[in-house]
Amino acid sequence: MTTSQTTTEVARPPFWRDIRVIRVVGQIVAVVIVFFLLRYFYGNLIENFNRLGISTSYGFLSSPTNFRITYHESFNPRSPVWEMVLVGVKNTFLAGFFGIILASVVGLFVGVSRLSENWLINKAAMLYVETFRNIPPLVIIVFFGFAVFFYGPFPIFSESWEFSLPGSENVFLILNKDRWGIPGFSEIGNLTFFWVVLALGVIAAIVVWKWRTRMFDRTGQPHHRVLWATGVVLAFSIVGYFVTGQPFEVSYPAISEDRRVLNGGFAINWGFISVTVALGLYTASHIGEIIRGSILAIHSGQSEAANALALSGFQRYRFVILPQAMRIALPPTINQYLNLVKNTSLGTAAAYAEITALTKTSIGNGRPTFQSIVIMMAVYLAFSLVISAILNVVNQRLKLVDR
Amino acid sequence: MTASAPVLARPTAVQWARKNLFNNWWSGLVTIISLPVLAYIAYRVLLFVFVNAQWEAVTRNLTLFMQGTFPRDEQWRLIAQILFFALAFGVGAGTNSASTRDAAEDAGLTYIKGTIFGTFRRMWSLALFIGILLYFATLDPAGAWYNPFLLVAAVAVMAVLGYQVKWLPRRFRNLGWVLTGILLVFGFQIVSGFDAGGWVPVGLILAVTAYSAIAADRFNNRWIAAGVRLAAAVVVALTVRFIYIVVDTTGVGWDFWSGLHLTLMVSALAIVLAFPLGLVLALARRSTLPALRWIATGYIELIRGVPLIALLFMGQYVLGFLLPQEVSLSSITRAIVAMSLFTSAYVAEIVRGGLQSLPKGQTEAGQALGMAPPTIMRRIVLPQALRAVIPAMVGQFISLFKDSSLLTIIGILEFLGVREIVHAQPDFRGVAIAETLVFVAFGYWAFAFAMSRESQRLERRLRVSR
Repeated sequence: MTTSQTTTEVARPPFWRDIRVIRVVGQIVAVVIVFFLLRYFYGNLIENFNRLGISTSYGFLSSPTNFRITYHESFNPRSPVWEMVLVGVKNTFLAGFFGIILASVVGLFVGVSRLSENWLINKAAMLYVETFRNIPPLVIIVFFGFAVFFYGPFPIFSESWEFSLPGSENVFLILNKDRWGIPGFSEIGNLTFFWVVLALGVIAAIVVWKWRTRMFDRTGQPHHRVLWATGVVLAFSIVGYFVTGQPFEVSYPAISEDRRVLNGGFAINWGFISVTVALGLYTASHIGEIIRGSILAIHSGQSEAANALALSGFQRYRFVILPQAMRIALPPTINQYLNLVKNTSLGTAAAYAEITALTKTSIGNGRPTFQSIVIMMAVYLAFSLVISAILNVVNQRLKLVDR
Repeated sequence: MTASAPVLARPTAVQWARKNLFNNWWSGLVTIISLPVLAYIAYRVLLFVFVNAQWEAVTRNLTLFMQGTFPRDEQWRLIAQILFFALAFGVGAGTNSASTRDAAEDAGLTYIKGTIFGTFRRMWSLALFIGILLYFATLDPAGAWYNPFLLVAAVAVMAVLGYQVKWLPRRFRNLGWVLTGILLVFGFQIVSGFDAGGWVPVGLILAVTAYSAIAADRFNNRWIAAGVRLAAAVVVALTVRFIYIVVDTTGVGWDFWSGLHLTLMVSALAIVLAFPLGLVLALARRSTLPALRWIATGYIELIRGVPLIALLFMGQYVLGFLLPQEVSLSSITRAIVAMSLFTSAYVAEIVRGGLQSLPKGQTEAGQALGMAPPTIMRRIVLPQALRAVIPAMVGQFISLFKDSSLLTIIGILEFLGVREIVHAQPDFRGVAIAETLVFVAFGYWAFAFAMSRESQRLERRLRVSR
């Protein structure tokens, strides 16, 4: 009894080599170092701010910005800073959203083309990928912003090119250096009821989707649930449009008499086009490679099995290869979406009023730098967190499918 | 009739087209539709490049694009730097190929020599870029104060000269790597000057070499051995420091660099500075100590959640406030700090991937041998993990290289930024915008493409050797 106790005591290493002690001390040391580092920076920050008389409050958010934002007529120099932040967030979101759509479409197309047996298509896709992947996105944005738009072939606003459909009075496309006009919708009645009907339609579509899925599980009949759900939403919106008294109409873009203002339709400015198209094309080259890699990663036995079942080439892709490839491709693709959203910050180079450009202007107008940048970083962190959350959900669902 | 071996007939053009362009009706349709579109695009691109483009904006400003506003009477430093780097590249390549040969010999395998054509095949984009630079230089000979052809020849001579370390005996392999490192640092310092703190990297390299070069088994007591090694390292470091104090010459600090030169230097510096921090972060994130893990995870996720430009703004506008009043950093220094902090988070994730890819059996084997955890990490895990992540690190370097174009936005005139000087000249105000941009894009493309080719090759090699 006593001997065994002594042996355990002898076997115990000196305290500086005892793993339990090291664990605790190591953590304490790390926390203390980080704490003092942050304390040091924070102390310097406060001291410097006090010395220079800079405020650390966020009260400036409600003071007027004192500058205009081009293409945002409702925003005037009297609008408070927080409204500017909202404009920036909205524009960042818009560029990111449409950029993601463009990148996905082009990327899927390029990725599948890279595997085409057609030599021409294959090589063209390869050229595309190798070109865009290796050029900085900023250079592409500047190219679109300045070589295509600012100094490019398009006419100035007052001499816009106007295109109309044959046999129609209405202009459906206006091109120039400044703002492009495309047909849009304009509100002529009360839209509230229409939105309600549309929301009902979406709910109905979800119910129909579930019903079709159940049907498929029970009977094995083709579910066609995408078709069904789309049909339900369409039916609801068409019926709703007439029932609520035709609350909106198609509006065509038109240039005013003095050829200064773009009326009607939907106006998109050159900064937005540059950022969206440039980032869309750049990211598409990455997504294309991801999709190609994922399709190649599918074991050739899958393809052979599909052939053995006498599936056609399209069926083989649609029901065997792509569903499996998508599972591999989705996580890295969402990562690329995240990169795209972060890259919209380069819009400042094409004078696109997203959050970075507005923060820079606002700092130039004498707003406190530290707080402005903190807000800007918080906005991007929020975007990142949302996309990461989506990625986590996707990963979890993919994992559930996997046994 | 004489019997002959069956020969794989070279397909005729028609056969080739039928197989690759008109394989089935769908493929044929795609070909017929896309051929005119692609041909038109190619026609427009060629028309622009060879006929319409006014390349004067580039040819007359070639020096500006390469070295920006670097002081003109100090230009010899850049030439010396290029030659030093060429020598370092040669020594590195020679040592690398020699150690591959050694490994092949040890394993009893045949060593297949790489050829100069193989290197060229991977680097053709860079060669094309240099070729275009040379061609542009001949169009406007007044632009360059030296003969660019002579420079290229000298670079080749230096690289070939350095490559000859391949024939040194085996015990000089490590020395080859040390020499590569020192030549790189010297090449850097021939421009930045051999002053203040410049001794640190050279001293560090040589001190570590001295520490590991002294055989430990000569001493019976490991404490004495460690003491002797440490003393040797300190002596070497102090000697280097003394030499630097004696030599002390000021050069041209990086605040005066711009153009392609700055782009290359800044991205190389940032990745070198980011690597140690990234390594520490990766180890901390994989640590079993929760406090370390949380700190590292928080830092990595925070940095990865914001765009680089936000950090560059932080560097430009806020970094000065975080430091005491006496410390003032130049704009480029602040940018390098921001880029290093940004890259370290990505490096950490890459290294973490490498650590995770290692089978658990490796660590367990170390434990079975009674090794201490730090020794397992240093001797078993890290060497394998770091080798596995080399391709990903090259990829990260490419992305850092591309991201260095963002310095333009905060007013630093790197390769993309010097365009602003060009287009401020009376002759090129508002004209030839596309030309300069295409040239800059091509420059970035040439470097990034060559590096991505190299990284693909490394990846293939690693996969084979595993």
